[in-house]
Order: sequence, then structure tokens, then C-alpha cells
Amino acid sequence: MTRQSLLIVGLLVAAFPSFAQQQKVGAPPEASNMRLVGWTDLQARSAYQPTIHRQGNRWIAYIGHHGGSDEIPTPVNPMTGKPEPNGTSIVDVTDPANPKYLRHLPGQPGKYEAGGAQMVRICDGSALPKGDRAAVYMLRTFGGEAHEIWNVANPAEPVLVTRIGGLKDTHKSWWECDTGIAFLVGGAPDWRTKRMTQIYDLSDPKNPVKIRDFGLVGQEPGATGTVPTDLHGPISTGPQGNRVYFGYGTNKGGVLQIVDREKLLKGPKEPTPANLAAPEVARLVMTPWTGAHTTFPMPKMSVAEFARDKDGAERDIVMIVNESILNECAEARQMVWFADLSIEKAPMMVSNWTVPEASGNFCQRGGRFGAHSSNESMDPVYYKKMAFIAFFNAGVRALDIRNPFQPKEVGYFIPAITEKTDKRCVKVDGQDRCKTAIQTNNVETDARGYIYIVDRANTGMHILELGGEARTVAGLK
Amino acid sequence: MKRRTIVQTSLAAGLVAGMVALNLREDDPPSLSKDVPWRPTNWPFPRDAWPQGRAWRRGTLEVYVRPKLGFCGNCETGVTTDEEVDRVTDVDLLDQRFAPVNEGLAVRIGAMSGRARLYRYELPTGVMRHVEGIAVSQKCDLVIAVIAGNLLDERERTSAYRHLESSTVQDWISQALGGR
Repeated sequence: MTRQSLLIVGLLVAAFPSFAQQQKVGAPPEASNMRLVGWTDLQARSAYQPTIHRQGNRWIAYIGHHGGSDEIPTPVNPMTGKPEPNGTSIVDVTDPANPKYLRHLPGQPGKYEAGGAQMVRICDGSALPKGDRAAVYMLRTFGGEAHEIWNVANPAEPVLVTRIGGLKDTHKSWWECDTGIAFLVGGAPDWRTKRMTQIYDLSDPKNPVKIRDFGLVGQEPGATGTVPTDLHGPISTGPQGNRVYFGYGTNKGGVLQIVDREKLLKGPKEPTPANLAAPEVARLVMTPWTGAHTTFPMPKMSVAEFARDKDGAERDIVMIVNESILNECAEARQMVWFADLSIEKAPMMVSNWTVPEASGNFCQRGGRFGAHSSNESMDPVYYKKMAFIAFFNAGVRALDIRNPFQPKEVGYFIPAITEKTDKRCVKVDGQDRCKTAIQTNNVETDARGYIYIVDRANTGMHILELGGEARTVAGLK
Repeated sequence: MKRRTIVQTSLAAGLVAGMVALNLREDDPPSLSKDVPWRPTNWPFPRDAWPQGRAWRRGTLEVYVRPKLGFCGNCETGVTTDEEVDRVTDVDLLDQRFAPVNEGLAVRIGAMSGRARLYRYELPTGVMRHVEGIAVSQKCDLVIAVIAGNLLDERERTSAYRHLESSTVQDWISQALGGR
């Protein structure tokens, strides 16, 4: 390169920082204290929830997908040679360096959020009170119209067990494997919201038993006035913790609702305002600029900083992750928040964390920038020590959360884009202006300590491991 | 004929033509008069999750418009149910206890289609009024409009819809949606 060319490139980089930060096919990933172990392209399907499950001596990853795109509504499954609506990918990750794609289970036809099978949870039949002990059950959404349970004991040959349909939407459900109680996020036709909770007893997956419908007062049939924010998803602490934490909102009007699980399950079931209000212990109303995508409970956290304090050395913490939904920062920043619920009637935000935008000029990289979700595994390897946050074009971020009052980043990984990575566009003067960037959408961990991140823009699933300081924080060798 | 008389006659003729077009009568309110322009007013509502919109007034008719980017519940179908209008409308800015008067209907504003529904709400003085909540969409983006006034008079409603389809409003919407 001539001196003159170098000067021009230098001036361009100085004048337009995004020029330097724009991802390019063939460029290496950006990483700190995290290393790529393995990768699978997930048939270039837009990915939502990964769930990793140990089945005997195998480790299987189940990945939910959004619907197809305008350009490719029904991608071809190379294993069958046929176009199939995006559904669920099933991948053997026993050897994380060589993941083996086992099966694509088609979902509801439709593009983006209107199709696919975004959500997936797994319970062993031997754990469920009335399950077939030889079975492994996969609970998944089927687009917006149904929930399904499949037996995936042979993960390459799933068998449909049950279907709960007639809905106007679905989303991020929760299933207690030890009791079978499922908090299914959906839209009952007569409710005023597209996402609320339908609680089922799925202890016998062949025979689902409806317990009740639940939501915020004002969402129930027949109500008038303001409709409270849609549910995004609940997480239950089961009979022992006796709490269900419901997160409402994605990028706006967030509400963390703290609910007494026993009162919820055993209370009067008619969806009257009084019956809906009865199990609520308290709620934390967030700023209207932020939502509550994931509400991840971490009860009884010992905080070393407070060890010598007379009160409050142990705290009940809920990590709240907002979801960014608009490209190129066309909204308020969505990030990670830590709420102290030790005194439940007075929940309080005690800290937050976000990727510094200038560290990568992320608002100019293209696509979404901001938080979306966290890992939800409560395996001891990371629980109450580290959290992994999917941050769209900023990849996955590894946080040391041992002191939730002062979360600290200890690692990150931003995957490289590929030829299959889908573009993301914004309108400028009526024309599409598109950029291609990684869109890390969801993250999950397994009991071995591997971290699985999946991409909304069709770049597949990356399997990672920690290094350096991050490994020390987790207590890994 | 004096020049002044000519001008007055022309104005009167124009007014009559406008009244005929809108089926107006002499005692009709200013909100129906073509001679009374739609005047932009300040966005009167406190800050909330969404960017401020634009407001206009003509006589007793009020129109509020703003986009809600990425808020459409189904980007493929757009707004197709009354529950969706209830959920996304800005009628709660006027009164959080608003109640529907009847079932909604499909509407089209400019190039965007969606649904509208008539609601009843209460002024701080206790007076009941009607308001129409409109939600139209383009892909995942919503445009929300609220019309307040004597909406039991179909002509007032028509007048407000004409304003929503005017270049003044449409140009602003286009700009707010990134020029689409």
C-alpha cells in the first residue's frame, strides 16, 4: 500500500469510526477471556432459545427458531433436501468441538415472529411426577398458535405427545421438572393481551391439566381502560422458593411482578381483578423506557462486601434483562439491572450494567445493540457467580456478579459474521440502508461450563469456554 | 361590484361550497368549517415510553398522532383485532379508564391499514366525551392516532380523517417513520 493510500485509510477511520468497526466476512471474532470451541450453522436459521440437556452420556442442545425471512421464508434442510419452516434444531454437543446436527423439527410457517418455534424447555420423564421414565420431554412453542410436547428420548426422532392450541401468541414459558407445573406464555383468545400466562399441570405430559389463566389486572377478559404491558416470561423457584417472578415488557414499560406460587396455584381461578391481584406479593415498576425480558432469581446471595454488616449480608437478588428491539439505537438503551428483593414489599434496583457503546461504536455497526437475555441455567458452575448476557451486535458479555451491587465485565465474545449472516436495515430518506452484523440473541450454559450463544441473524450457534480472569471468577480449573 | 364585495361574495361562495361538500348547516360548529384551519398545538401529555407526537385542533376537534416503532403485535397481519387497538392506543393519555362504545372497524389512513374503535372517556370535570383510537401499521411499526370531539356526528369524524390523510400529517408521519 502506498503512503498516500495509508493516509486515506487513516483519515477514513478517523472520520468515520464505524468504518473501522463494521464487521467483515472473514475477519476474526473479537474476544476477551472467552474462546471459541465449536460452531454449527443451524442451517442458517434465525435462532432464539437454546437449552442444553444431558441425556445419559450425551449432551443435546435444543434450539428454538424464529420464522424465516423475507428473502428465505422456508430454508432448505440439507438433511432432507426440502424447504422447511423454521422450527427446532436438535444438535449433539457431547463433543463441543464437533457439534453434530441431528434433526430439524419444522415449526409454524410464517416469517420472523409470526412463525417458527422460538421457545424450548426440556424435562426428563424420570423427573416428572407422572412421566414415562424412559422419555425425555421437549416443551416447545409452535409459532404463535400452540405449545407442543415431544418425546425426544431419541433426539434424532422426536415423537409428538401433546398439543395445546387455540392461542393468538406464545413466548418464553417455564416448566418445573420436579413438579410438572408449567407457566405457558401465550395469548388466550378472550384476553386483552397477546401474552399472558396459562398455568398447566404437565406432570403427565400426555394429559395436560389446566390450572388457571393469569396476568396483570386489566389484561383479563371484560376489563376496560389501559391494558398493562404484555408478559414476556416467568421464572419459578418451585415449591421450595414459593415465588414466581414474572417479567413484563420487552423494551418498554417493564414490570417485575413477584408472585406467591402457592397462592397462585391454589387460589380462586376465575380471572377477576381480585383473584388476579391476590397472589401478588409486590411489583417493581421500571422506567417506561425499559422492559423486562428475563427475570432471573438468585435468592440468598452472600455478598462478601457486606459480610461484616449486622444486617443484609445475604440478599435476594433478581437480575432483570431488558430487550433491545430496534436497529441502530432507535430507542432507549436496554441493559442489565439487579434488583434487591430482600425486603419484598420494597424491591429496589441496586445496580445496572451495559456495554460501553464507544468501545465498539455499536450504534453504527448495524442491527440491534443492547441487551436481550441471560443464561437461565442454575447449575452450580456459574449460578450466583457469573452471568452471561446476549447483547446483539456486542456479542455475549461475561459478568462477575458475585457482588450484584457492582457487576463487572470479565470477558466477551463477538462472533465473526459469515456469508449467511442476514443484513439489518433502517430507513434513511425512505430508502433501506442495510448493514451486516452479528446479532447474538440468546445464551445458555451447561453443567460442564460451556457457553452456547445463538444468532438472530442466521450465523448459527457458537460454543465457547472461559479463559483468564473469567475462568478464575467461576472457579474453573 | 366593489372589490370588497367581490371578495366577500367569493368567501361566502367558498363557504357554501364547503358546507355542501360536508353536508354542513349554518349552525354547524367551527370544527366542520373549511375556513377554520387545523392548528398545530403542543403535545399536551406528560412524557412516557414513546416519543412525543403531533397534535392539531380545529374547533372542538382534536387529533393526536405518533408512531410507535416496533410495537406491532403481528408484523405480518398488522392490527386486526379490537384487543390490539385497546392495547396500543393512546386513548389512555386522556383517561386511563376509557371504555369501548362498540366494536371497532377496519380503517385505512393513507397507505397504511389497521383498525379503529370508538371509546368513551371522562373529562376531569366529569363530562363524558367520545374519542376514537386508530392503529395502523407498516410492517412492525405502528402509527397511532386519537380523535377527540363530537364523534357521534359522522361529519366530524370524516373531517378528522381527512386531516389525517392531508399532506401535513402524512408528511410528518413519513418523516417520523424514517421517510418510508
